[in-house]
Amino acid sequence: MTLLSFAALAAYLVASVAFVLDVWRPNERSMNVAIKALGLGAALQALDFVVGALVFSALPVTGFPRSLALLAWTTALAGLAIIVKFRLPLVGALVAPAVSAALGLACAGSGQNHGALPEALRSAWLPVHVTLAFLGEALFVIAAGVSFLYLIQESRLKAKRPLEIPQSRLPNLEKLDRINYQLLTCGFVLLSLAIVSGAMWAASTWGRFWSWEPVESWSLVLWLLYAALLQSRLAVGLRGRRAARLTIALFAVLLCSYVGINLFNPGKHGGSFG
Amino acid sequence: MVARNLCIVGLSHRTAPLEIRERLAFNGPEIGKALGSLKQSAKAVTEAALVSTCNRVEMVAVAADPDAACSEVISFITEQRRLERKLFERFHYRLAGRDAVRHLFRVGASLDSMVVGEPQILGQLKAAYAQAVEAGAVGLILHRAFHKAFSVAKLVRKSTAIGMGGVSVSTAAVKLARQIFDSLKDKTVLMVGAGQMAELTARSLVRLGVESLLVTNRRFERAVKLASEMGGTAVPFEHFRPYLKLADVVIGSAAVSEPLLRPDDLGPVMRERYNRPMFMIDLGVPRNFDPSINALDGVFVYDLDDLGQIAADARYEREQEAQRAEIIVEREVDSFCHWLRSLDLVPTIKAVRSRIEVLRELELKRHRSWLATLAPEDRSRVEALSRGLTNKILHQIVSELRSLGHEADAQFVAAIARRLLGAQGSDASRSSLCLREGGQGDDDPSA
Repeated sequence: MTLLSFAALAAYLVASVAFVLDVWRPNERSMNVAIKALGLGAALQALDFVVGALVFSALPVTGFPRSLALLAWTTALAGLAIIVKFRLPLVGALVAPAVSAALGLACAGSGQNHGALPEALRSAWLPVHVTLAFLGEALFVIAAGVSFLYLIQESRLKAKRPLEIPQSRLPNLEKLDRINYQLLTCGFVLLSLAIVSGAMWAASTWGRFWSWEPVESWSLVLWLLYAALLQSRLAVGLRGRRAARLTIALFAVLLCSYVGINLFNPGKHGGSFG
Repeated sequence: MVARNLCIVGLSHRTAPLEIRERLAFNGPEIGKALGSLKQSAKAVTEAALVSTCNRVEMVAVAADPDAACSEVISFITEQRRLERKLFERFHYRLAGRDAVRHLFRVGASLDSMVVGEPQILGQLKAAYAQAVEAGAVGLILHRAFHKAFSVAKLVRKSTAIGMGGVSVSTAAVKLARQIFDSLKDKTVLMVGAGQMAELTARSLVRLGVESLLVTNRRFERAVKLASEMGGTAVPFEHFRPYLKLADVVIGSAAVSEPLLRPDDLGPVMRERYNRPMFMIDLGVPRNFDPSINALDGVFVYDLDDLGQIAADARYEREQEAQRAEIIVEREVDSFCHWLRSLDLVPTIKAVRSRIEVLRELELKRHRSWLATLAPEDRSRVEALSRGLTNKILHQIVSELRSLGHEADAQFVAAIARRLLGAQGSDASRSSLCLREGGQGDDDPSA
């Protein structure tokens, strides 16, 4: 891994500390530091990708560590957007440590580098497909984080101890539920587009849309699961606690399949997952 | 010597859970009847008033023997409310003398409230006093004690910031609503019952943007009146259930003997609502909503105790003001206890008066034959002279006794006074020789 990755990791760690401290001692200044550090980390990673792309003359996404780094980057970007748009600093306390952990693992595991991208996969589809897929996953990660916040808030309200953490920190249930829904919808759209773009790319490279690769199969499974979750929200009025738990459960499936495929059976995707 | 003593037996939110309090609560008409039958059954109690609010049930009584009186009151309340005596005794407190006075004043000044400084308690205390007066259960001491409690409350409110701004049960409810709902504009509030606190809560919610309000009440006219005041819609009490599915906030304050709504009622409602969250604020005592509804997904049930606890968390800010209030209360307790103690001297004063009067009459009798020789106007002059002399002596003695009673142990002072003058306190009431001066006015030395 490059020096830039380590610098980004350092920035993410600073952001994590600031976000976590901010939960217990909310103040404007630490909040600003946290958001800026998260943004700096994302910018450094972006620079890292650009440098990598120039070196390899394609987006460097092969291998588990690079894939993890990419996931960390999209998650940091999406997290930043959510924190600023919805004024949800608590999401930072979940996202920044997760991003740090992912990038930390990526840096630690950079020994098993799978090298450059095969010639056959160098195509304009690559950045499109990969960005869609990883952004979609990042949104699912953040949706799980928001669901986690929902469960905390809900259990505090149920236990009738709701005002311990300054209330401005933990948003109301309705808002958390709505954000969760919006994130899932956006993530689902991105995942769908990623699958479609992947299929088109496959058609142009390998001559067929679908080849039942592990990544493809698992993407389809996840797509179906998220489709079912969204459908139940719309049709049956699934929401609140159960929706939050299911979002977290689906995130667990996503995480397991992502790690599992990357470690044991990368297939033609060569370690990336989309 | 008859030492009359204030005593209080009861339980409150500090000592007893809502489950017990709701079983003991007396409503308005019941209080008069209860005081009536207490007069019959409790021999040790000479005066009584019953304070029954959501947060406390207390009998304020006057008795010569507080222990006996407390025991009688406990028997009375537990029989009336069919509560095991043991259960009552586990949660109750009994106070006598100075402690009882202090307690009464603190209650009135809202220092013992679940939400310190909340203003409702004074009105409730006034109502309790009025009911006791109407039932004929209030005598000299309770009159004075309650009026003093009211003036202490006013004094505290005026000279401390205890009633300023802070968190009451209804504001706690509103804060909670904002933790559940993002916007209140598109929400519907359903008021079941038209209690004062429920009205306050509903009004705050309307002020914060709630546009749709439904009101139901057993007395439909009241629901109509409230609804028109707040821009809502009245719903007949018998048919309010179908409206539950519309309600995001349900405020219960109906007088009920058992919960109006149970988990079985809410399950289908939540399905019809597509599980949109529902906030149930139960301000009723006894409770309107079965607390186990809270276990349902998406429903949040808060009763008075829960809200009070939340309000109490915000209470510490007022601690400072409360301490100042305590000082005021303590000063007033002192002055009331002085008055109460000086009441102990009343029999002694009477005895001294009658003793001196007896002496005067005896002297006059001794000179009866000489007096008979005098002209009528001279005779009345001698009479006036003797009376003037004894009155001068009496005035000195009585005022000294009273001021001593404020400083030292009144009983001791009284005993010495009786010894010095050869007047026996217990004889005083019997020696009705000349009690011309021992009229009503004597009962109240400060009058």
